[in-house]
Amino acid sequence: MKHWFRLHTLALRQTLLGMLRHPLTSLLNLLVIAIAAALPLLLWLVLASLGGVAARMPVEPQLTLFLKNGHDIAATKTLEQDLARRAGMAKVRYVPRDEALKQLEAATGTGELLAGLGENPLPDAFVLTLHGTSAAPVEALQAEMAKHPLVDEVQLDSAWAQRLEKIVALGRSVFDVLAALLALSLLLITGNAIRMQILTRREEIEVARLIGATDAFIRRPFVHFAAVQGVLGGLLACGVVALLLARINPAVSELAQAYGQQFTLQLPDWRVILLVCAATMLLTLSGAWVAVWRHLRQWR
Amino acid sequence: MSNIQFQQVTKDYSGGFTAVKNLSFEIASGELVFLAGHSGAGKSTLLKLIAGIEQPTSGTVLVNKQNLARLSRASLPYVRRHIGLIFQDHKILFDRSVYDNVALPLDIIGFDGREAKRRVLAALDKVGLAGKEKLNPVALSGGEQQRLCIARAVVHRPAILLADEPTANLDRDYANDILELFKSFHQVGVTIVISAHDESLMADYGRRILRLKNGQFTA
Repeated sequence: MKHWFRLHTLALRQTLLGMLRHPLTSLLNLLVIAIAAALPLLLWLVLASLGGVAARMPVEPQLTLFLKNGHDIAATKTLEQDLARRAGMAKVRYVPRDEALKQLEAATGTGELLAGLGENPLPDAFVLTLHGTSAAPVEALQAEMAKHPLVDEVQLDSAWAQRLEKIVALGRSVFDVLAALLALSLLLITGNAIRMQILTRREEIEVARLIGATDAFIRRPFVHFAAVQGVLGGLLACGVVALLLARINPAVSELAQAYGQQFTLQLPDWRVILLVCAATMLLTLSGAWVAVWRHLRQWR
Repeated sequence: MSNIQFQQVTKDYSGGFTAVKNLSFEIASGELVFLAGHSGAGKSTLLKLIAGIEQPTSGTVLVNKQNLARLSRASLPYVRRHIGLIFQDHKILFDRSVYDNVALPLDIIGFDGREAKRRVLAALDKVGLAGKEKLNPVALSGGEQQRLCIARAVVHRPAILLADEPTANLDRDYANDILELFKSFHQVGVTIVISAHDESLMADYGRRILRLKNGQFTA
């Protein structure tokens, strides 16, 4: 155990000294790893943030029926009962115009709205919540209600939330492909960097083998190097992404406010940083492992 | 007890060149043996076969009663640790100090720092390089580089020492110093095989001489 520990500290020390000896090469390598890791990380954070918004939205389809002014109370009751009986209907809520006004005042924080307007301009309305996510029955109901004599206008409230959800789903598949591609490129980049290192240290490897070094002994410094590069590259990726997000977040937040939403892109927290570093380390380690294995394979 | 045993060993290289032909011999534990012959006679190949660097095309090489060809890839390094190798081309690493060159076998075996340091300094002292441990090997003369190679080969106290042309390119006095050094290792029980093309040096030592010509022993 002590021996094992000693060998690893020895290899780690050599690795760090080696990186300091070639600062520019090491930095360029780190940047390549960081950029490759930053792209999927950025996309992932954007998706996570948008996913959060989509989750807060009503994804169950919601229809609002705005009623014509001066309608008959009894006819309204009949319509409410008719709607409540329909299959797939989760909730039917009648919102009288006075209540709608109060809600609007609360949401916008303008208590004196009515005072300025003189008269409540809002209509009475039904808010319908339907089960399920398929669009066809909702659209059918929307079309039917638009022709109803009591109804002035029908609005599909959940449409943009559904659209957002679809965009996020699309983004997730893009993320999967992008992450896989960049993971592969990380693997190849490290593999190649290690291969170059092996070539420059050929003699050392040969001598070490001839005087009794095991494969593990030869592999160790390269694997350490790759692990250190992976972790540092991951940290750098998080740093780059955090910097970028901090820069674009004010603009994003302004845009969101234009849609009446409180929204900023999440910065990577410690769990994300840990995950990114673990992922990049695993990839660079694998790349190094394969490169060394390919080199060692040529000997018995 | 024999330490090194060749049984009808033949080594062909690709291209049809036969380096050693049907060799059978034994070297006893603690013996010092010279290997004589011109360049290309098969001396280096014979040493490489003992060290397990090359595999025989046919026949059996036993080192400490172990058949090297039957060893797994994973266990070969542990056998090599009982063998000290002195290469014809030295194979010194110029990216590190004299000290670190000699310390390499101990790093591989996993000696702790203090014991390693003691051994490295003792080995350097033994070969007459005391005080030069911090230098880069580039700063050493040809003869000193040869001694550095010897220090690295003996620092982990191997049971077998194989030296490929250790006296080549050295003047006679220097060559004799090197051979005296080998004699002192022999006196502490190390099995030693030394190859050289200049037989006149060996004659003074009165040891067994294996003479190779075209991969076969001559009388």
